[in-house]
Amino acid sequence: MALLKLENVTKRFGGLVAVDKISLEIKEGELIGIVGPNGSGKTTLFNVISGVYTPEEGKVIFDGKDITRLPAYKRAPLGLGRTFQIPRPFSSASVRENVAIGAMFGTLADKVSVDDSLDIADRYIDMVGLEAHRDKASGTLTPVEKKLMEIARALAMRPKLLLMDEAMAGMNPKDIDDMVKFIKRIKEEEKIAIVSMVEHIMRAVAGLAERVMVMNQGMKLVDAKTEEALSDPRVIEVYLGHPPDESKWRSEVWKEVKKKDE
Amino acid sequence: MIFTLLAGNLTHGLLLGGVYGLATMGLSLIFGVINVVNVGHGQFIMVGAFVTLTMFTALGLSPVIALPAALIIGMALGFFFFYTVIRRLIKAPELTSLLATFAMGILLEEIAKLIFGADFRGYNWGLGKITLPITTIPMSKVYAFIGSVVIAFFLYFWFSKTRLGTAIRSVMEDSEGARVCGVNVGWIYALSFAIGIGLTVMSGVLLTMFIPVGINPYMGGVYTLKAFVIAVLGGLTSPYGAFFAGLIFGLIENGAYTLFAMIPGVAPFPLTVSLAFWMLFFLLLVKPTGLLGK
Amino acid sequence: MKKTISKYYPLIPVFAAYLIMFIIGFFMPGMWQMVALLAFYCALGQSWNIFMGMTGYVDFGYVTFIALGTYGMSLGITYFAQYEWLGIGIIGIGIIFAMFLASLSALLEAFIALRLRGAYFAIACIGINEGLRYFIEGAKIWGGSEGLIYFGALVQALGRGTVNQLTTFWADFSVFIIAALAAFLNMHYMRSKIGYALTAVREDEDAAKVMGINANKYKTIAFLTSGWLGAGVGAMAWGLKLGYVYPGDVFVIHYTIECIVVVLLGGAGTLMGPVIGGLIYGLSKYWLAVIMPGFQLLIFAPIIIIIIVIAPEGVVGLLKSKLKGTKLEMFIE
Repeated sequence: MALLKLENVTKRFGGLVAVDKISLEIKEGELIGIVGPNGSGKTTLFNVISGVYTPEEGKVIFDGKDITRLPAYKRAPLGLGRTFQIPRPFSSASVRENVAIGAMFGTLADKVSVDDSLDIADRYIDMVGLEAHRDKASGTLTPVEKKLMEIARALAMRPKLLLMDEAMAGMNPKDIDDMVKFIKRIKEEEKIAIVSMVEHIMRAVAGLAERVMVMNQGMKLVDAKTEEALSDPRVIEVYLGHPPDESKWRSEVWKEVKKKDE
Repeated sequence: MIFTLLAGNLTHGLLLGGVYGLATMGLSLIFGVINVVNVGHGQFIMVGAFVTLTMFTALGLSPVIALPAALIIGMALGFFFFYTVIRRLIKAPELTSLLATFAMGILLEEIAKLIFGADFRGYNWGLGKITLPITTIPMSKVYAFIGSVVIAFFLYFWFSKTRLGTAIRSVMEDSEGARVCGVNVGWIYALSFAIGIGLTVMSGVLLTMFIPVGINPYMGGVYTLKAFVIAVLGGLTSPYGAFFAGLIFGLIENGAYTLFAMIPGVAPFPLTVSLAFWMLFFLLLVKPTGLLGK
Repeated sequence: MKKTISKYYPLIPVFAAYLIMFIIGFFMPGMWQMVALLAFYCALGQSWNIFMGMTGYVDFGYVTFIALGTYGMSLGITYFAQYEWLGIGIIGIGIIFAMFLASLSALLEAFIALRLRGAYFAIACIGINEGLRYFIEGAKIWGGSEGLIYFGALVQALGRGTVNQLTTFWADFSVFIIAALAAFLNMHYMRSKIGYALTAVREDEDAAKVMGINANKYKTIAFLTSGWLGAGVGAMAWGLKLGYVYPGDVFVIHYTIECIVVVLLGGAGTLMGPVIGGLIYGLSKYWLAVIMPGFQLLIFAPIIIIIIVIAPEGVVGLLKSKLKGTKLEMFIE
């Protein structure tokens, strides 16, 4: 059974159709990527899934429940977690308090006390490697540290599905590789499904995701296994602006992908 | 009979609305340019009222002369408060400028109380009335309305045609962009604040032309509330919207007064004041960003 | 267990301060009036702190709660004093009315908070205050602009002796209790999920919602708590003690400023802050009232401005940063 099911989700802003009849299924424990150029509607789609927006048409079904019109704050306890492209820490609170907030209002909301949440927070802070900053005010962290804290906070919610919005934006190649390893590890240890969304950092998806959905102008272009999706000529055309010269692009794309496996 | 009464009151309301509108323009200007809400707004109106009172009773000068005096005093106060207080708070969280302008208003009240005492004062300009087909209006009120319209028009031209006015508009739109174009944003902030306060103090003069009684240090509070309702009605950042919203508010207020006066067992004046709150509440339900604003 | 108790250490200096105040007032002749005044300001500051310190919303019309509390008590006494069998119960009824009216106002403000923030919200709250005041006067309910005088009815119902005791001691003592309760609730909320939720909402409401926080629920809890406490102060310190009420006397914005001064002086969002602020302000007001009556605000208005510009964290805030990393830190909150 699918953990998350989108049925013909459409979101309009006035005359602009940001998300156009998107259908998608994600199973428990799957790791998929959503890819698309700037303006393709990826962030809007995430916002619809996490409840910031309500779609005009279509349904969002999570764990068997229709959450299309459910307020955002009710989705977290169901197991839907999210990180933001630009981290949104609760600046005056410490790292520990931030992550604990994740635990307090997530899937464990009614079962954990404040003290329990702080203990849970410690575990995830260690996992992302921020032990040294535990009691610092989160507003003082570096951007990468803030990203790591976002992830720890989202994990503390013990979600079933984690939406990661451009988790690797602004990182250098080494950090990206570390992050890829880290995300794989999260998926294994926490046994959660992950949706990783990226615009152009293909490394974040190639070698990480089993499946990729490519979006363009609000519509689903391709939904297939990673290799297939990324080498699909339509996808390349969307990024390059023109259809590829077949022999040439094959080697360029595959060079990137092959590098990952080495 | 009721029709004449209503028509009379509505005309009255429209005229008063002009004064309200002008008063609120100052508020909108300051908020539009510096993003500071002047919670002490009503107290500056009170300053204008006392300026008029003093000039009339002590110096025998007509309120018309009080207008430019009020402008000068208002701008002086504006510059003073800007450079001592406001300037440091522009980058601070909203709360601090709210509290600071609130405290400024209280300070003005207490100083006024110190100088003039807490009694209610008034004056009588005695210009006589003008008779229109439907109603009779005291001349002073007509002057007040003319005054507010003239000033509003003047502002309109000044904003659109002069360099300084355009500079202010540019900062309202985008202060960074204006800075890059060579506009001295810091000076524009100060100037806008000063002009905003100047407008507010002037409207106090016009207000007394309309209502020459009840002048006391604590009269300002109610006008802050009304100004806020008008600003929300017209869009908190749009000075022009504020003027027209003021007219509408004046109409509604006086229409309501006429209605309330017909109900037995209620005191129409306080009830009308309370109306401002209910209007605000209704507006918040319907459109919090203002009917004419963004 | 130890962990849980140590959470509450910061309450110790607060309760100690209140205890000392009480002892001074009770045992030293002539000091009760002054101590009662100090307790009044501490209680108000502590109650307002829950509202502003925790939610970040500024309620310029906070005095509405105090006024409604006064009216609640007044209405209770006015209408129920005739039932002599109720005895002291009419005070209880007064409190219930006070809480009820305060709840209405708190819920109204929570509703407004749904749509407005920052400056808009602050001024809308002034609107509630002015609107209620003039509505009472205009619609001539609850005695209209002349208000209610029920001192006589109270004496008739309870006897002069009891009433004397109530107005000279028990009313003020209740204010102490409210102050202590407010401090306790403040601490309790800060350490519980409510506090964490409100911190998150204050910093970034949309992110908080995505984390699973029902922002409105927690804001409402804070508003209600703060409103009840404020109403309690009004009911006791004004309603019960004075024996009369009229709109122009209670719906006065100046009391909100006094709350602000108290909290700013001591440090907003801290526990000890309102106590220190209450002491400083109360003492100054008392002293000034003797020397130059009616001038307190003239002096305090510029002081608020100076504090805002120079030291927005107040006395306790400054103390907190000085004591960071030391053993004493756990006593300061």
